[in-house]
Amino acid sequence: MNLFEFCYGILHWLVDLVNNLWYWLGDFLPWYFGDFFTAVGDFAASDGHLTFMTILLESVVIIVVALINVLNFLWIFRKLSGRILDFYGPYYVGYRIGGWLQNLADGMKLFIKEIIVPTKADRLGFLLAPVIFVASSLVILSVIPLSVNFGLSTNESGEYVSAGALFALAAFSIAPFAILLAGWSSNNKYTLIGGMRSAAQMMSYEIPLILCAASVFLLAGSFNFVDIVDAQHDVWFLIPLFIGFVVFLICLIAEVEIIPFDLPEAEAELVEGWTTEYGGMRFGLFYMTTAVRSYAGGALATAFFLGGWQGPSFIPDEIWFLIKAYIVYTVFMWLTWSVPRVRIDQMLGLGWKRLLPLAMLNLLIAAALKSGGWF
Amino acid sequence: MAERKLPKSTGIVLKPMKRTGKQLLRTLIFGKPNTVLYPEQKLDLPQIYRGKQVLDFKKCIGCGNCVTVCPNDCMWLEKVDDPELGKIERPGVDIGRCLFCGLCAEVCPTVALHMSTAYELANSERGKLRLSPMDIRDDAFGSTFVEERQKRMLPTLDLSKCTGCEKCAGECPEMCIAMMPVDRTDRNKPEINLAKCKSHAKCVAVCPEKALTMTEVYESYFEMPEPKLILDNCSGCGACARKCPSNAIYMLEMPGTEKTLKGGKKGKPKKRAVFVFEKCVGCGRCYQACKFDAIEIPGVEK
Repeated sequence: MNLFEFCYGILHWLVDLVNNLWYWLGDFLPWYFGDFFTAVGDFAASDGHLTFMTILLESVVIIVVALINVLNFLWIFRKLSGRILDFYGPYYVGYRIGGWLQNLADGMKLFIKEIIVPTKADRLGFLLAPVIFVASSLVILSVIPLSVNFGLSTNESGEYVSAGALFALAAFSIAPFAILLAGWSSNNKYTLIGGMRSAAQMMSYEIPLILCAASVFLLAGSFNFVDIVDAQHDVWFLIPLFIGFVVFLICLIAEVEIIPFDLPEAEAELVEGWTTEYGGMRFGLFYMTTAVRSYAGGALATAFFLGGWQGPSFIPDEIWFLIKAYIVYTVFMWLTWSVPRVRIDQMLGLGWKRLLPLAMLNLLIAAALKSGGWF
Repeated sequence: MAERKLPKSTGIVLKPMKRTGKQLLRTLIFGKPNTVLYPEQKLDLPQIYRGKQVLDFKKCIGCGNCVTVCPNDCMWLEKVDDPELGKIERPGVDIGRCLFCGLCAEVCPTVALHMSTAYELANSERGKLRLSPMDIRDDAFGSTFVEERQKRMLPTLDLSKCTGCEKCAGECPEMCIAMMPVDRTDRNKPEINLAKCKSHAKCVAVCPEKALTMTEVYESYFEMPEPKLILDNCSGCGACARKCPSNAIYMLEMPGTEKTLKGGKKGKPKKRAVFVFEKCVGCGRCYQACKFDAIEIPGVEK
């Protein structure tokens, strides 16, 4: 049973339950009201309506699962940063589960804070930028399936979005526009510099990232996540495309904007960069969305190079996928708390002079493997 | 000039990661972080930590050296009515002004004052930072650790009992007791060279009047000035002897100075102050007490 069938079953049962009550109510009414009641009940029970609601329910389920993972990710982020820098990290809130509840407590604190819009800020852009940033990050999650059965699909056959990987990469790269919008509309020189840096940075990392993904698509012969993972049944793409894997990880770090490449929000130089003017839950959303993007990045790296949900069957497929994503994220965090931030010119030099040739080499290897008939 | 060797680009990333990976293993798996969780755990402070002052009432003689030496002028002497010790003067301290330099503890001649390791001294009211002598009293504190300053057993003289028999001077194996005549009183006073004394205690054993006793004396970090008597100015009022916290001043009669009263009787003879420098702590209270300019301290001007 896949997620679609599960959600469809739940909704069908629920609509039947409500409809019984609804028709029973309609019996007490005059005939012209009764006909209207019957028409509404029939529409609710119709297949098109149920399918639409099922897709909504699926997305809710997927986002809730993703957000639970995001809480874990934030906890790992803070705990690892603490232990690597030789202090405890979150400790008291949720003492028995290692301070896991600290993020919820912080979220509650941020919720009750006032939303302040600077006087001279562009109000529409200022309030719209977080929405774009968060929405474009959450929409990535909708196309990434955790297994063959656990993903957003539009019918009971369980087929997912056919160009899902391409859509994920496209949604991934919307964020710099939101950052540029936020930086411009805040009417502050730090935010503006941060936004411009984000745009400049995107130029340098996006092309190697797409080239590495292209080599994966070339070997798998598909843009669909299920096909890509199925193509890695015998050997993970990590092994033939190791250069690509390394380049992809580095570009992902730049995409997610965590420390070695967090130029847009360099807190030492730019006073938190493009988030300077944001406070309260808007800042909390940015904080959370960084973890959402890390989760999506880990999931992409897992699906493209680490064999997705492939693994010994004593652990469910979904858990395999999450374990791999968590490992990728932990390596990100390890790197984050080890190395200093690069300069903007170093970032561009790295992107154009090192990563782009390596990505091209990787694409050549993929093409050679494909044309040689190994894949 | 040799060129500096630049690390390879992989070393820039992998070397720090190796370092932090070791740190992570140490703090997460094999041990705990070095952080002290403050309200629950507290640091083991070394004994030389300088926190709140602690005063041993029984050892303190109320000389006020701590008050004199305090650079921030945050100590004062307060009159205390103790059921055991009677009416005494003991120092209080204003924690809000104290800079915790520890000079008061170092200058204390009887090691009655210590800097303890208590550091949680904050208070919401400024007045409560002024600690009276009763607030800093802890008579048992000195026994909780080994005193850093060296302790010697030295003979001290009670001049009121001394008859000047010279037996102690004859008995001393180090030849460090000399009988010195005291001006205008036809008596001799044993002067003990404390630098040469090896604590044989033979002088104490031989003293027929029990005027000499062995007492604990702690080494001093400070060269304390000694008062000097100008005999011509001394009126024999005895104010200095009453003020002296260590009972180092004795009033001795000067024979031959009696006034002849009406009726041919002779009155009481005049007195003069005699210092026993072995006991002097150099506090200068005699200098302050003397109204006749009979006591001066070298280097101190009025």
